[in-house]
Amino acid sequence: MTFASLVLATALSLAGALPLGSPAPRATVKMKSAVDGKAVSIADVTGKAGTLVVFTCDHCPFARGWEARIVALADDYSQKGVGVILINANDPAQHEEDGLAGMQARAKSAGMQVPYVVDDTSNVARAFGATVTPEAFLFDRRGKLVYHGTVDDNMRQPDQVQHHYLKDALDAVVAGKPPALPETKSLGCSIKYRS
Amino acid sequence: MTRRASLLLAACLALGAGTPVRATEPGPTVSVGTLADVLAAARAPGARAVLVNVWATWCDPCREELPELIRFYRDRRAAGLRLVLVSADDPQDRDKVAAVLAAAGLPAGTPSFVKEGDDMKFINGLDRRWGGALPASFLFDGRGHERHWWGGPVTYRALDRAVAPLLPNPNETGRSRP
Repeated sequence: MTFASLVLATALSLAGALPLGSPAPRATVKMKSAVDGKAVSIADVTGKAGTLVVFTCDHCPFARGWEARIVALADDYSQKGVGVILINANDPAQHEEDGLAGMQARAKSAGMQVPYVVDDTSNVARAFGATVTPEAFLFDRRGKLVYHGTVDDNMRQPDQVQHHYLKDALDAVVAGKPPALPETKSLGCSIKYRS
Repeated sequence: MTRRASLLLAACLALGAGTPVRATEPGPTVSVGTLADVLAAARAPGARAVLVNVWATWCDPCREELPELIRFYRDRRAAGLRLVLVSADDPQDRDKVAAVLAAAGLPAGTPSFVKEGDDMKFINGLDRRWGGALPASFLFDGRGHERHWWGGPVTYRALDRAVAPLLPNPNETGRSRP
């Protein structure tokens, strides 16, 4: 890593989460997808109704617990004009299953149809200020961040969910309205940034 | 096999065969607790400083920091430090949590919980600046005011730097009263 990139990485990691109203940072960075091997950027998947960026990974029990719901939302809202991209920014040196081969296996077993890409410097995640997996950033049709947070309020028991935070935000974006609850949180695994 | 022997075996398996287990000490007790339970344990009178650590058995950096965290607690508890541990594991895995804590050398009687209840209330109830990533640690003074927080693993040195101002000067220990 060069001194300049170290300084950039440090600055980005200290920047905090992307503020509401911001456009997607580093949107033109091409990242390799584990689904079909193509290089895809956030700009490439931008939808007419909005764009959903989810930082997730393979090894984390929270990411795995929400995985089926994330994939279902991705499939459903892709049909409604929302562009979706799933990003793995973890360093596979810390968890081997977060490498491309593990991601390919995960994408296949989960039946992913949307891009599941490798942030191979972790700098896209740093630019978003993402710290946890899974963590969602939803942009409206004008490209402004309108929702940041978690999927719902019950990772372990899907049938016990009371608040479908991300689905509600997606419904609002598709309807051209601001989400009622723009920021939520959940416990989760820390993103294992590449150094 | 007795329940205690089973716990020790599980602890060895969880942390690796080379990890020493203090077989002569009783193991920690882990309760299922809400944010209110955790805050009550943290704010109970009698401590000069309280360190709340949120971790999970499946979280590698959490398990890696535990021995140093517990060593720091052992070194400072006589001076008035209280440690409160909160696991994000499934409440059904309480025995596994206890086994990992026992293997890491946590003294019996240390307040230890497996969290239940809404994540967002729990996170914001400890510190709104925290995004929820594990591990995380929060330092409170004896009056329950937050003095510092760490997102990510902590070191003995970092803890010492933050906790030392809240505890009596080691050179004066024995002359001051909590």
